[in-house]
This record gives sequence, C-alpha cells and structure tokens, in this order.
Amino acid sequence: MSDQMTTAGAQKARGVRIDPQFLGLASFYVVLVIVFSFATPNFMSWSNGVNILSNITVLGFVALGQTLAIVSGGFDLSVSGTLPLGAVAYVILTNAGVPIPLALLLVIGIGAVVGIVNGVLVNKVGISPLIATLGSLSVTGGLALTLSRGVTIPMSNFDAGFLSEFAFGRVAWYVLVLIVLCIAVHGLMRYSVLGRMIYAVGGNADASRLAGIRVEVVSITVYTICAMLAAFAGVVVSSQLLVGSANVGADVALNSVAAVILGGASLMGGVGTIGGTLVGVLILGTIANGMALMMVPSFYQQMANGVILLLAVGLGRLREMRAGK
Amino acid sequence: MLEAQQGIAARGIVPPLFEVSDLTKSYGPNCVLSDVDFTLARGESVALIGENGAGKSTFAKIMTGVTRPDSGTLRFDGVEVAFNAPRDALAAGLAFIPQELAYLPNLSVAENIVLGQWPGRSGLTTPRAIRARAKSVCDRYGIHFDLDAKMRQLKLAERQLVEIVKALLREARMIVLDEPTAALNDQESAALFAILRRLNQQDVGIVYISHRMDEVYRFSDRVDVLRNGRRVASVAPQETTPAQLIAHMLGQEKEEFTRGAVIQRGATGLQLRGWRSSGLPALADVNIDVQAGEIVGLYGVRGSGADLVAEGLAGLHREISGEIVIGGKARRLFASPYEAFTAGLAYVPAERKRDGLVFGLPIRRNITLMVIRSLSRMGFMNGPAEAAITDDLIRRFDVRFRGADQPVERLSGGNQQKVLLASRFATRPKFLVLHEPTRGVDVGARIDIHRLLAGVADEGCATLVVTSDVEEAVTVSDRLIVIRDGRIVGQLTGEAMTQTNAVSLATEG
Repeated sequence: MSDQMTTAGAQKARGVRIDPQFLGLASFYVVLVIVFSFATPNFMSWSNGVNILSNITVLGFVALGQTLAIVSGGFDLSVSGTLPLGAVAYVILTNAGVPIPLALLLVIGIGAVVGIVNGVLVNKVGISPLIATLGSLSVTGGLALTLSRGVTIPMSNFDAGFLSEFAFGRVAWYVLVLIVLCIAVHGLMRYSVLGRMIYAVGGNADASRLAGIRVEVVSITVYTICAMLAAFAGVVVSSQLLVGSANVGADVALNSVAAVILGGASLMGGVGTIGGTLVGVLILGTIANGMALMMVPSFYQQMANGVILLLAVGLGRLREMRAGK
Repeated sequence: MLEAQQGIAARGIVPPLFEVSDLTKSYGPNCVLSDVDFTLARGESVALIGENGAGKSTFAKIMTGVTRPDSGTLRFDGVEVAFNAPRDALAAGLAFIPQELAYLPNLSVAENIVLGQWPGRSGLTTPRAIRARAKSVCDRYGIHFDLDAKMRQLKLAERQLVEIVKALLREARMIVLDEPTAALNDQESAALFAILRRLNQQDVGIVYISHRMDEVYRFSDRVDVLRNGRRVASVAPQETTPAQLIAHMLGQEKEEFTRGAVIQRGATGLQLRGWRSSGLPALADVNIDVQAGEIVGLYGVRGSGADLVAEGLAGLHREISGEIVIGGKARRLFASPYEAFTAGLAYVPAERKRDGLVFGLPIRRNITLMVIRSLSRMGFMNGPAEAAITDDLIRRFDVRFRGADQPVERLSGGNQQKVLLASRFATRPKFLVLHEPTRGVDVGARIDIHRLLAGVADEGCATLVVTSDVEEAVTVSDRLIVIRDGRIVGQLTGEAMTQTNAVSLATEG
C-alpha cells in the first residue's frame, strides 16, 4: 500500500504529462512545416507566418466553441449560419450609427440567443444535435440573407473594422483576441467547475445527472458559448472584408468539426483539449497556405484535408483497438 | 414401432435431449462453474434456481453457445456438440431467450419472426410470403398476436413470445429462458407457462432460470439448484419443500458480521411514506424508516420493486406518488437527482459503469465529481484542496491503484466501486442510498465495502442498502426489510434476520 502511495506521489511531482496523441499531432505539424519550407521558398517567413495566423483566425474562434460542444457530447453545425448572421448584423448596426461597442455586444447577444435555442432544442425538446443545429443553420443563414437582402453591404463606418488594424508589426488585433480567448477557454476547460462538468457530461451524461450535475444547464451553456463565438467570428470576417455578406462561413461548420476531431477529441464526447484543437486548426490552415504557395489548385487542398482527417482519426482508432486487445 | 421406441426408451437406449457432463468454467481466478452435470429429457421442463452469482446465467450461456466452457462435454440428441456462437446452437435446435431481448423495434411482428428465414427464391421475397410463413408457425403452436403490429408496440410479455415463436420457426427443440418472468405480472407469467407447457407436449425441452419459488412449484417437472458453481440438488418439486430448496441455495449459513449500531432516533432520519406506483411491479403503499446511524437493508429478488424504491429516492421516478420525510418535514419525491443531491442524499447506482463513473476521466476527477462546486472559488477549481480531499478519501476507502491520474476504467471492479463510494461520500451526505453496492465486486473488496458502510453509518449517516444479494442483506443490515411484488412483506431483526427467513419471505407468494 505504502509503495502504491509513493507511485502516486511521484506522478504528481513529475508534473503535467503530455498526452501522446497530442505529441503525435504536434510532431506531424512540425513535419508539415518542414516539408512546406523545402517545397516553397516563401513559406518560412515572418510575413507568411502572420498570413497563416490571419487566415485561420475565423476558423479558430469557431473551433474554440466547437471544442466545447463536442467535448460535452454534442456538436454545432449552426455556426455556419450564426457566423454570416453576425457579420451582416454587425455591418447593418454600425452603418446605422449604433456605437461600435454596443453593436459588438448586440451581435454577441444574437449569438447567445441562437445558442440558447440550440441548447433548448437539444436538451429540453430532445432533438438530436445533428438535426437541431442543422435546422437552426438554415434559419440563421436564411435570416442573414433576408437582413442583407442577398447583397453584400459595404461597411460605411470604417472604424468598425478596428479588429483588422495592426496591434503591432503586421499582427492584427483579431489575432491577439484569438490568442487571449484560447488561453481563457483553455483555463475554463482545465481549471473551472464548468470545464469539469463539460468533461463529465460528455463522458457519461447519466452518471453526471445522478451525481447531481444539471446536465441540461451545462449543455445549454455550452451551446450558448459556442454560438456567441461564432457570431463574434462573423464580426471578425466583416472587419477583414469591410463588408457584411451572408455568403461567408459556409465551410466553417464542417472545418471546425474536422479541426476539433483532428485535435484528438471524440464525437462521443468527454475527450478533447483546446491545445489539440489549435493544432488541428493550424494544420488545416497551414495546408491551405502551403498548397496555395505551391500553386496547387484548391480542389486538391480540399482532398488533402479529408485524407489527413481520415488518416489521423483512423490511426487513432487502430491504436485504440490494438490497445484494447 | 411406437411401442418399440418406448421399449428402447425404457431401457435407456434413447439418449436424453440434452446432456451436460463435468462442465467447468472460470473467469480469471474465479471459478464460476465446476463439474456441473445436467440432463434434460424430451418434453421436460427444468427450473434452475440459485442465489446471485451461483452461476445460473453462465450455465445458460454455455448451454446455448453464448460462452464457451473451459472443459466438459455437451451432448444434444446424443451427439457431442461444441457451439461457437448462439447461431450454431440455434442451427442445432437449441434456442436462448435472454433477459434483454434483441429485436428490431420498427419492423412488424411477422418480419421479426421470419428474420433471416425469409421465404422466397433468388433473394426475392414479398411481405405477403413473410406474413404467411409467420402465420403458419403461429398457428402450428397456437400462439397468436397481431402480426402486423410494430414490434415496439408490443408489451414485454408479447415480445418474449415473439422470441419463442422465432425459435420455433427455426425448429428449436430445446429453449433456455433467463428469468423470463422477472418483468411479467402474474397473468402474463401464467400465460407464458401455459404456452411453455404446450411446447412440452410437443416434445420441446424447456430450461428456465427462476427467482420465484411459487412458479417453480407450479410449472417445473424438476428443479436443479446451483450454489457457488456446483449443482447441489436435482429433484422433482413435489418431493421437496421450499424450505429445503432454500437451504440448498444457501448452503451453510455464513458467519455474521456484527456491529453495535449507534442509532440516533429523531428528526435526522429518512422516511418513505405511502409510495405507490402503477406499472410493473406496482409499488403498493411502501413505508420505510431509516434512522440516523442505522443501516437498513431492503431486500427483494429481481422485479420485486426494490430497484424502484432505490431509483425513486435518487429522483429518477417522478411518477411514484408518496412522500419523503427528511428533517422532520414531509415533501414530494425528488423530481431530479439534483434535488436529491441538494437535500443531502447521496445515491450509489447499481450500474457503476453506466450510471456511476465517468470512464475516461481520472480517478481523482471521478472522486470529486459531486463536490466540484464546493472545491472551487469563483468558478475555478482549488487544486490543492481537491488533491487533499481525494488523497484523504483514497486512503480512507483504501482504493488500490497506480496513480490518481490513472483513468478510472483501468481499476478492478472492487476498486471502481470504492471510487464510486468515495465520490458519494465526498459530499458528506446525511442520507446514503446504495443500490447493489457490491455487484461484480471480489470478495475482499466486498468485505471492505461492508466495513466502510458500517463506518459511514457510525458517523450518523442514515443508510439504506437496496440489494438482491441475500447474504449481503443479512450481513450488512441492522434491520432488514423484505419487499415482494411491490409490497413490504416483512421486517427482520436480531436473531430472525437470517438468509433463510429473508429468502422465504422474498420468494414465497
């Protein structure tokens, strides 16, 4: 017994263990970077690094929320509708003279409403996350089209694009905001009560309910955070393009799910980290960037994303099955 | 010809329908069955009885190819057989009706019956042909249902019959049923046995596992008793008494575990008043009173309603009417587990894997699952406090492991159960309700757990142990309440609290 206690102590002293799957993913990313830097001379440069970061930001915000949704045992396809809704609403509000901070809050509030509706549909009405968020995807996407009357609205108040201004060097504010939010959500998942509950609910909803956790409340909160982040991602898109359009973000739902799964999460819930998701997002963004630099047509890029996702998940499954035997 | 056959049978030349000899099966170090012999004649009905863990289900599974034995021979119709899968057994004419039926809920009854045996040629079949085939087998055995109804619309009893007809369509000559009546009411059970009797007359052999003395007497030609993996008796029911059968089931009574309970009478206890429900089993005016510092056992066989009482206390059965009295105040049943939790009641579920632990999370996080709020400041976890509390509980509950960050599913069943108990005890509950607290737990851990419960009660916790394990019920309880068919049928204390008394109260109706 005493010897078992010592092992427990020793493990604690050694500190944080790095998950082997995360390590594998990170090394894959390093290999990817090396390959691209040999394949194309412009890849390994400060400005291209900034470029990649800028290009993944929108997906990054959405994937943060998607991680929460997937770890809690659900997922959210409606981000592809909430995002354009946020983009269009932000431009309409600021064009109408609403002060920028207030417009920002209102847009995030719209996201919150969408999220609460998703959460209620899934948890109180009992619709499966796939159907519920597919439905709200259509509703929010349609709403964005209606509000914009199907046209691209130019931003008349250029101050509203403040997120795209450079904070320092050529790094835009939205990149900084993403980094701050990543740290915050990482802290939420790792160190907060809500984070603990999210892992518990996703890991075993029945056991969590019997342990006195209000599973529905946790899940609704998660959908709300996820949709708020998607709406905010819409603001970022508008700031980048200086227009409000309902035709943005269509690919973000599936790509965010892909990034989260690539990052080691399971669609069954209970597993997944923000760090993993970030690497997943980086992999997708870097492939896009590297292949664009190599002048590879974007159709190949899409195929490459798919192959990598299937490889990563397939190899993980095979390893699990071997370990199970 | 017929006379000749009877003559041969009389001289014992025609082999029995099914014959098992020297059957042995172990799971790791646990020997579940040792040297079991068994025979079944054509048209005979045999009831298999025994305590929990006696090996009944394993035996049924080996007979029907679900599990393979370590050694021993099985002969079906005189020919030695070795089934690799239930499918092989069925092909030979031996069907198994498990407790958890597997069927296709959205297909019709006829389609379920004919599943895999579709009439037709070159891969083509028609709904009409399917229905006709299902009808012909139903008519042959005189079992009738609405063949066009969807399977999910049927009652459990009817779904069981569909399984039986399904077996008959495949020319089954022997049917093994695992506790077929556990979830049936009296009428449904009687109807089921009437049909099984008819099958007997058509030379089908029946083996069924039972928990109820009354049906053993009403239906079987012979009853075989298993105890600790051995067959200890095989008699015709009319040649024995229930008391003798119970004695065979229990064997030597085990040494009892004594403790001086410090019962604190007063408002700090937990009372159940007038619990009623419809459905099966229907609770009929269940009243239970647990004082602080006391361990009360609630014992009943499967389907007795004991499960309902346990789950009702956990806030899982809003449909039960009645009251809970806590802190001297009466209130409605808890509407959710959260309400039970906030009232100071901790519930240890029976299915630790499904309802108790969160697999994938480390031991530490499972232990603090219920107390994460109180271990946090402004929404963030207080790491040192969490480590201190888990270390303390791990020591107290003697959980043996390699590291507290190990995923909980790597632990043995006994240690998983201790983690589950520790997680409940972390809340410092005033009332503790345990549902099958030592199911699937090794003997050493079982004794540890019983000691821990005594310690918890000594600290003033009102403890209710709901169990279908009579040895546990008698060992751990200060007072034992017995439930049958949704009714409290007796209370045992002191000298009268024996396994024999408990089993006879729980099984004789």
